Amino acid sequence: MDIPPNPSDATLLEERQPALGLPFLGRAPEAFMRLVFREDRFFLVLSVFIGIFAGLSVVCFRFAIAWCRIYLLGSGATLAPLRMVLAPSLAGLVIAVLVIHVFPLARGSGVNQTKAALYIYNGYIPLRTAAGKFITAALAIGSGHSLGPEDPSLQIGASLASALGRRMRLSRDRMRLIAPVGAAAGLAAAFNAPISAVLFVIEEVIGRWTAGILGSVVLSAVSSVVVMRWFLGSESMFRIPAVQLERPSELIAYSVLGVVGGLASVAFSSGVATLRPRCRALPRWTQYFQPAIAGLLIGIIAVLGAPQVMGAGYVYIDEAMHGQFTWQMLAILAGLKIIATLLSFVSGTPGGMFAPTLFIGAMLGAAVGGAEHVLFPHLSGSPGTYALVGMGVLFAGFLRAPMTSVFMVLEVSGNYSIILPVLIANTFAYLISRGLQPTAIFDVLTRQDGLELPSMEEQREEGTLRVEDAMRPASREVLDTVLGANDSLDQVLQAWDAKFPEVRLVRMDPTGWSSITRPALEIMVKEGKGNLTLGSALSGRQILFLHPDNPLETALRYVDRWPLLPVVSRADFRKLEGVISQEDVLRRYQLFGEEDTSE
Amino acid sequence: MPEPQEDTQSAGGVKRQFRSYLRREPVILALLSALAVIFFVAVTALSHIYEAQQEFLGNRWFMRGSADLKQGHFESAVTEFRAALLYSRDSYAYQLNLAEALIGLKRNAEAYAYFINLWDREPENGLVNLELARIAAQKRETDQALRYYHNAIYATWPGDQQVQRRDTRVELIEYLLNIKAKAQAQAELIALAANLEDEPVQQTHGGDLFLQAQDYEHALAEYRLSLKVQPHDPAALAGAGLSAFQLGRYSLAENYLQDAVSTNPNDAPSAARLKTAALVMQMDPFQRQISVAQRDGIVLEAFVAAGQRLESCSAAGAAKGPATIPVAQPGLSEEWAKMKPRITESGLRRDPDLVNTAMELVFGIERQTSSACGAASEKDAALLLIAKLHEGN
Repeated sequence: MDIPPNPSDATLLEERQPALGLPFLGRAPEAFMRLVFREDRFFLVLSVFIGIFAGLSVVCFRFAIAWCRIYLLGSGATLAPLRMVLAPSLAGLVIAVLVIHVFPLARGSGVNQTKAALYIYNGYIPLRTAAGKFITAALAIGSGHSLGPEDPSLQIGASLASALGRRMRLSRDRMRLIAPVGAAAGLAAAFNAPISAVLFVIEEVIGRWTAGILGSVVLSAVSSVVVMRWFLGSESMFRIPAVQLERPSELIAYSVLGVVGGLASVAFSSGVATLRPRCRALPRWTQYFQPAIAGLLIGIIAVLGAPQVMGAGYVYIDEAMHGQFTWQMLAILAGLKIIATLLSFVSGTPGGMFAPTLFIGAMLGAAVGGAEHVLFPHLSGSPGTYALVGMGVLFAGFLRAPMTSVFMVLEVSGNYSIILPVLIANTFAYLISRGLQPTAIFDVLTRQDGLELPSMEEQREEGTLRVEDAMRPASREVLDTVLGANDSLDQVLQAWDAKFPEVRLVRMDPTGWSSITRPALEIMVKEGKGNLTLGSALSGRQILFLHPDNPLETALRYVDRWPLLPVVSRADFRKLEGVISQEDVLRRYQLFGEEDTSE
Repeated sequence: MPEPQEDTQSAGGVKRQFRSYLRREPVILALLSALAVIFFVAVTALSHIYEAQQEFLGNRWFMRGSADLKQGHFESAVTEFRAALLYSRDSYAYQLNLAEALIGLKRNAEAYAYFINLWDREPENGLVNLELARIAAQKRETDQALRYYHNAIYATWPGDQQVQRRDTRVELIEYLLNIKAKAQAQAELIALAANLEDEPVQQTHGGDLFLQAQDYEHALAEYRLSLKVQPHDPAALAGAGLSAFQLGRYSLAENYLQDAVSTNPNDAPSAARLKTAALVMQMDPFQRQISVAQRDGIVLEAFVAAGQRLESCSAAGAAKGPATIPVAQPGLSEEWAKMKPRITESGLRRDPDLVNTAMELVFGIERQTSSACGAASEKDAALLLIAKLHEGN
């Protein structure tokens, strides 16, 4: 497809850039600066800084969580029962006051807020939100609420990036993008997994790939991970067990895990979808106590024998991977973690869903693996392998990020052998979850908040109209380049049909296509240029051509400029597959709208 | 009043110019870099505080865990080492001690997970290989156990490597003996003997292991080495006596066993063995130092003893029923009865070849009755040993 370039961002930047003001050097430095600091390039450099700042912030966030944990719950592996009850309850009270009076935007996970910044607020996220998220989430996770640090890190990164973008006075397009760039940096640093972070932000927040977006997101993610590893080391979050798949038939066992994980995801997301609006509908004064009550109930669960449900729970994921729980205990922990996370999240306590999702997935995976081993002792997969696969399963089923879920497990495990089990199990979980709960959890939360953000999942599933859906066969619209104007006019008049536009396509061998109207031919004949061939008359006036698989919206951009466009084969641009006009495009859109309404 | 206006204008211009400079990318980048450096320095300072606290807490829990581990309080040790690992998840020492404590609690599967992780990090660590070998041995995974034992023998050890490697080899030999892999145990024992120091205790233990592996020659050699330094060590004397006894060197065995019994009168097995050795010496008609009359007397006594043994064995077999005890070949009784009139002092003197014929029959009877009727009298046991001694001659 031959598309004329749009006005570039560079042009916009040049227009508003002040003169350099160094007269003794003439215009040369200015030209050099314009070349080097075009906004798109500058944005890439800025992405690195965003990554660095986000990485440093996430490191501080991790310190804060650790300190909160030590001072609120104690430094030992076994916690005192009184602390287990009091710490999350009292912290819940403080968090409620802070969220209601000081940081109202700190509530929730942070993913939707970043999406809202992209689609509604032109990239604006107040810096205060980052501070609020930092303080309240650290307090919540450190005191034992069943939430994780990843989503808050994502929002902190996005908020920092947004603040930086505002100071830089970036263009509106760049400002919209800057929050996801910061989000990727925050998530990558929190997860120690740059690929997963990049994929998640592109898959769930931005929803599209371009070289510019990918470059910025990757640069910010990589620089944040480098900073994080500088301070906290490069070790993986878990000790990864040996992964083996001796017989392909064992994939059936992983499929079972996918089915169980899919059902658990539906239960988890249905719980969030049902309980969250009910909690929010309660009288306003109850919001002061909701996090505290959630904390109290989590503390009671912990005291009754499952302290593993408190906090992010990475230590216990690691233990589950290494066979330190029986499969019955693992199943109980998965169920209790769902309850604990529901309590924390629906009470409006700030914190993330990623870590609890991984926890539930790991426990469920190891439980299913353990139970299958009891029934079929010959299975070669260790509990650790099932736990790893289980993490991906819940990620695909609950967060509904299928690509990220696969790469996350690959990145965390560093082992390619796990790819087949992960693909199979994640696909089952994703399909079951989608089948039973058509709206993804992030979209449910957005709609509960009264926002209408684009759903990435729905966009992925949406049918796209293509040129081939609107084009019609080219029966009489083509003239030959060697014909003279007289002959061409005769041919046009002989095949005249009022239904079709007065324009004809001319195949310009070997260079491409052009077009000419009947009035233009008549003028040529009147001016005595009747013997002039169309090839010479139309030389240098070529028109754009389309391919059948181009999106219809591409055609829409050009049909008002050229009344008739050729649709040609990708193998041979001289071979005409059909033609398309503005009328054809509009008719198809009208039809599409009617189909959509009737559905 | 033109001057203040000019001043104001120029001040505004400078301000505008300054702002325009600030907006320019190189300046922005310089400012961002400076900000990043400041932030980085601040986080580094914070990080030092954090790391110091983490190290302090990790060490505190580790010390408590180590103390509990030493006292055998494995449950508390596990909790404390787990707490220590919260602050230094990858600490080799913390993981190793936690795994040791888990072994103490017999939670081998959990310990194995830690050990295998430690092995991945340091495959040459002796202790980790040894523990993995022990776990594999308990799981009856012989190949894995042997692999880890051998790794441990050639691995790096803290402190005295020689001692640790030798002890590991000893443990491997004991394991091999337990699983009845005597040939492999003997090979390891030969390697062990080469590395044993001139310490009587070690040499005696080496001798014991050779004995268990039924390598009596090497066992005797090790006991002798030990006895050179400690001639009155009852264990070495008993071991040397047993080795010599098993080798059929009854005279030597008698010497060692006499010393062993006199050093340790409570050593009943040695005393019993001494008695048997003395009886063997006394009842062997093929000794070189005895006279013909003595030899004939011994043959007569042996022949009578064999006849009695045959009779008692047949009676026992008849009493318990033919199905339970296989009765000795009836041919032997007939042969014995046929030969009996010829086995007299004069008969033996007349026909010296009769000594061999008579003793062959005696040995045949003792072998048959021993397999058919089990344990015999001391005399019969001695005759059996003499039979074994002269087997093939």
